[in-house]
Amino acid sequence: MSDTRTPEKAVKSARVRPAGYAVVKAGPRGRFLLHRRASVVVTALVVLLAAVCVAYLCVGESFVAPGEVVKVILGQPSSAELVVGTLRLPRLVVGLLVGAAFGVAGALIQTVARNPLASPDIIGISQGASALTVGAMTFGITSYTVLPYLSVIGGVAAAALVYVFAWRGGLHATRFVLIGIGFAVALRSVTTLFLTKGDYLVAQQAQIWMTGSLNGRGWSEAAPIGWTLLVLLPAIAWAARAQRTVTMDDDTATALGVRLGRVRLGLVALGVVLASVATGTAGPVDFVALLAPQVARRMTRTAQIPLLSSALLGAVIVVLGDLLARRLFSPTELPVGVLTAAVGAPYLIWLIIRGHRSRSGGTA
Amino acid sequence: MSPSRSTNASTGPAPSPTTGTARRESRLAARSLTLAYEDRTVVHELDLTVPDGQVTVIVGPNACGKSTTLRALGRLLKPRGGAVLLDGTELARIPTKEIARSIGLLPQTPVAPEAITVSDLVARGRQPHQSWWQQWSEADERAVTDAMSRTDVTALAERPVDELSGGQRQRVWIAMALAQDTDLLLLDEPTTYLDIAHQVEVLDLVRQLASPAADGTRGRTVVTVLHDLNQAARYADRLVAMKEGRIVAEGAPGDIVTAELVATVFGLEAVIVPDPVTGSPLVVPGAPWTPSTPSAPASSVSASTSAPTPGKVL
Repeated sequence: MSDTRTPEKAVKSARVRPAGYAVVKAGPRGRFLLHRRASVVVTALVVLLAAVCVAYLCVGESFVAPGEVVKVILGQPSSAELVVGTLRLPRLVVGLLVGAAFGVAGALIQTVARNPLASPDIIGISQGASALTVGAMTFGITSYTVLPYLSVIGGVAAAALVYVFAWRGGLHATRFVLIGIGFAVALRSVTTLFLTKGDYLVAQQAQIWMTGSLNGRGWSEAAPIGWTLLVLLPAIAWAARAQRTVTMDDDTATALGVRLGRVRLGLVALGVVLASVATGTAGPVDFVALLAPQVARRMTRTAQIPLLSSALLGAVIVVLGDLLARRLFSPTELPVGVLTAAVGAPYLIWLIIRGHRSRSGGTA
Repeated sequence: MSPSRSTNASTGPAPSPTTGTARRESRLAARSLTLAYEDRTVVHELDLTVPDGQVTVIVGPNACGKSTTLRALGRLLKPRGGAVLLDGTELARIPTKEIARSIGLLPQTPVAPEAITVSDLVARGRQPHQSWWQQWSEADERAVTDAMSRTDVTALAERPVDELSGGQRQRVWIAMALAQDTDLLLLDEPTTYLDIAHQVEVLDLVRQLASPAADGTRGRTVVTVLHDLNQAARYADRLVAMKEGRIVAEGAPGDIVTAELVATVFGLEAVIVPDPVTGSPLVVPGAPWTPSTPSAPASSVSASTSAPTPGKVL
């Protein structure tokens, strides 16, 4: 049965490359591995996103023809200048950036936690942002130039606490998630405390913020998150590669020369900053960070969560969600977070049921 | 150590030094290595020199610290005291990626990313040779192709690892470690979960890796932990027997495997006979328990008629 006494024989046969990948040359020395299916998915998502964006700009209280929309985007004079250029376009850009940031943040945190349930809105980051923001609101700080920064501080601080408490000579993935859930619950009750203590009108305002909304967001909100994403782009490119080894067990990754502690901290920190900035911009838009990476991965069938697809899908979810939130019960406008939660919650339940089944029933 | 070596193993495959030149050289060594988990010391001031181009097998009873020692040799565990030296330099002073180009390690229960394909997993063994700019090279392709054909998993290249049988999966993991293309290879119980045919296949592969190539270049250095003492004696150039965190005996299996050693290390009465195939020492434990044991109450089952040799009861 084991007649493998010819070590040199079969070597000359077909060359093996990682299945599903193409090797792309860039310059004299650059060689990149490109996942074929993921490239197709990215292309499809870009087309879908473009279509959703056009629809977003056309549809509203007044319908604007796609031709006029294009004119506005190209800077040509148009009758729709005010509706599209001033009202819808900036809000669309904020939605795109927030969605992309949540998508990448979720992908990174899920990768490190090795758990599809770990996302910034479940392990306490959104709750930390909410607690500090709502707390500030009840103390009379309602300026929208200050609140986003407080939100970022709250999110990062909560994540740092979770990380420190989950650390015991190394980061244990399950403990990280469980402690995060614990902190999320604790911080939520802090927020509730602020809400009940606070002024009625402030509480209502805080409530809307906490559902996650793009209402009233414009260029002044788009700029900070846009710059953040741009500055972090090299880090995101690094993360896409670093993800490959973090998905293996600790011993194997270490044996492959990966400085696991640092790489994980880097990935989590990046995810936390992105999630916090997105939360600071639009409030905690629930489930986007949970949903986008998982769906993206099922589409690309890669061994790690695809970052670019997650970003695109996050953007599609938020923009489409906001479009529906604006129009579904018009003239009443819903916060986009209500819509994403309505889609995300059933998905979360499905994930849990499915995860449970595959664990109890043996692998096929 | 003791002269109970039954036959002169003339056909033994184990010690087959072709060139006597670099025989005693060693890249990897442990110097008064003390290892501990929390405050429980598992290994005490252990000295070990791993001979280059040979198969070193560590054996010992459960919880004797053999896997812990292997983990420390592969810098997965920081020493509490002493050091592991690679080419004379403490592992702690060498960048981990650089270590990964010299030492490959396959842990006891590696975990693959969900839904990964076989070739993708094996390709990840090339990690220490790659950079962000160079994610794939000619050398990568050669190493992966070679590793997969050596372990006979080329046909599985496109299959998801989750769908493989235990034996196939283990071969894929070994392929990944081979693709890393390191001079030293540490394998932590590579035969667990495998049936006997696959065990033999894996161990034969280990021997093949350590054997010198046709052009005379030295084979790879392998350190492995094995549970089965007889397999260890068959395949090891150098056997290291551990008990309670200390080395009890080390040397060529034919020199050190004696009834006394088995009794000391495992607390087992056994007879050592020459392996009918290889001539290496074969450990045959005393007769199994039977109802006719003299100490057994006669009122039990009615099988107390003809007592065979009662074995060597302690």
